[in-house]
Amino acid sequence: MQSVIVVVEHKKGHTRKVTFELATRARKLADALGGKAHAVVLGAGAAALGEQLKQYPLDLVHVSEDADVDRYLVDPTIDYVDAVAKSAGPSLILTANTMFGRDVAGRLIARLSAGYNADATDVRVEGGQVRVIAPKLGGATMTTSAFKNCDYGVVTVRPNAFAAAPGGAAQVVELAKPAGKTYTMVVEEEVEEASGEIGLEEAAVVISGGRGLGGPEPFTTLLKPLADALGGAVGATRAAADAGWVPYSLQIGQTGKTVSPQLYVAVGISGAIQHKVGMRTAGTIVAINKDPGVPIAEFADLLVVGDLFKIIPELTKMVHDAKAAHV
Amino acid sequence: MTVKLVPDVNAEKRIDPATRRLVRTGVDTVLNPYDEYAIEAALQLKEKLGEGTTVTVFSMAPESGKETVRKALAMGADDAVMLTDAGLEGSDVWDTAFALAQGLKKHGFDLVICGSLSDDGSTGGVPGAIAEYLGVPGFTNARHLDVADGRLRVQRETDNGYQTVSGPLPALVSVTMAVGEPRYASLKGIMGAKKKTIAVQTPADAGIAQPLGASGAKTELLEFAPPPARSKARVVTAEDGPSGAAAIFEFLKEKKLA
Repeated sequence: MQSVIVVVEHKKGHTRKVTFELATRARKLADALGGKAHAVVLGAGAAALGEQLKQYPLDLVHVSEDADVDRYLVDPTIDYVDAVAKSAGPSLILTANTMFGRDVAGRLIARLSAGYNADATDVRVEGGQVRVIAPKLGGATMTTSAFKNCDYGVVTVRPNAFAAAPGGAAQVVELAKPAGKTYTMVVEEEVEEASGEIGLEEAAVVISGGRGLGGPEPFTTLLKPLADALGGAVGATRAAADAGWVPYSLQIGQTGKTVSPQLYVAVGISGAIQHKVGMRTAGTIVAINKDPGVPIAEFADLLVVGDLFKIIPELTKMVHDAKAAHV
Repeated sequence: MTVKLVPDVNAEKRIDPATRRLVRTGVDTVLNPYDEYAIEAALQLKEKLGEGTTVTVFSMAPESGKETVRKALAMGADDAVMLTDAGLEGSDVWDTAFALAQGLKKHGFDLVICGSLSDDGSTGGVPGAIAEYLGVPGFTNARHLDVADGRLRVQRETDNGYQTVSGPLPALVSVTMAVGEPRYASLKGIMGAKKKTIAVQTPADAGIAQPLGASGAKTELLEFAPPPARSKARVVTAEDGPSGAAAIFEFLKEKKLA
């Protein structure tokens, strides 16, 4: 493996922070491997995002605004990435550990007979070989893995794993449409349910609610304002999602999303293992609970024992006041 | 539908230092919880489509997993195929997807239903890779599916909602927990499952010629270690809202987070 290819997730040219984190890391890895750093940006808005990516230390940004990419599920994307990978030669392919990234990875494993390592928190090169660091078994073990028997390796990387740093002068190149392809998975309709201004998996701050909230309303009346004040996103436990208080897209833990924010505020959450595995790698964990004996006391940094319905509005106000004082 | 056997989800899991594989002995083997939702989705579909539909459990697992596969039959599946061979041990994502795809191709299908993730590996890569190898549409993360007029229509979960997608059969779909709680096996189901067929398919039967398992895998685990432990929380008891909020706010300032 010599070159590094970043497959970019975006919506109409708007991307996540993780894209720039991967673009920055791709340079370092490509230099260590002695190859080039590529990015592939596809679909409506690709040209504008390609221009933005030029400011990051990549060699080539491959773009195509082909309408088929948005009209059909995943297949056109894979055909384009396949073409870039074949022309780049043996390479390491990076994408974010999100639904999109895992979809792309799954397809590429078969298309390129590639090795696959998921949910990496670090990717480095040692002695010319790629090393992938990833938590496994729900975070109970940190593993270091290598690729073998393959020309291509695919890694999905957890957001917030690397710093993003602009600098560079990448060349933007237009991709040719793969010839002789017909697509069958038709996207008929897109429906947005959650506000999703900031993606949960890449948010620097996550305010999460559990059974202790008692219903759906406190998620919007208590947690959302605090998340907005701290520039974060709202998450939830499986119990809250199962109760129908929030959509499953907000669920953090074993059967939901895994997050690694700088700050995780667990509100009315006991911290059972099923939830812990989705947030144990957060930088700082603050818990608010009426019960001092909750399991989260074992691994949070701060546990405030008290009434969340009284504490959260006061805290939101303090954050707002502090911000106002700084202006 | 495809089914993976995983160590009991509530058991403490560990990696064997010698083989660098997940320890699967001495731990109860259960159906991958995500796959129970795949079974549920398959049974719901059969109820809708009628008795002409056959639900086959397809699992790559050692023969010792037979009784666990039988649990899927007890839930209501019609029969099962186990792709079994000592040479498949130590398979990684690529091996697994490749072998399952060859086995499924040989067996034949109209629709393959998978769980979205496995509880032990959690890579989420297998369903998409199988679809690619089979050359059929592959819809991942479905929360609702319906078959009509030879077409599959799926509601897929997205980061902030869902999308409706459709395509022709044969196809593959991976389902999320939103398809509905897996049903319990009834006593009648459990008794009936004892008479149902669990066929064994070898890699040779599936037309697999190349070495798979650990020697064919495309990834290798080099090292593993426990993550740095987190210490116990500093505990503050708040008499009222303002004092609780102040305790948190001061802490965030101390950590330079506010």
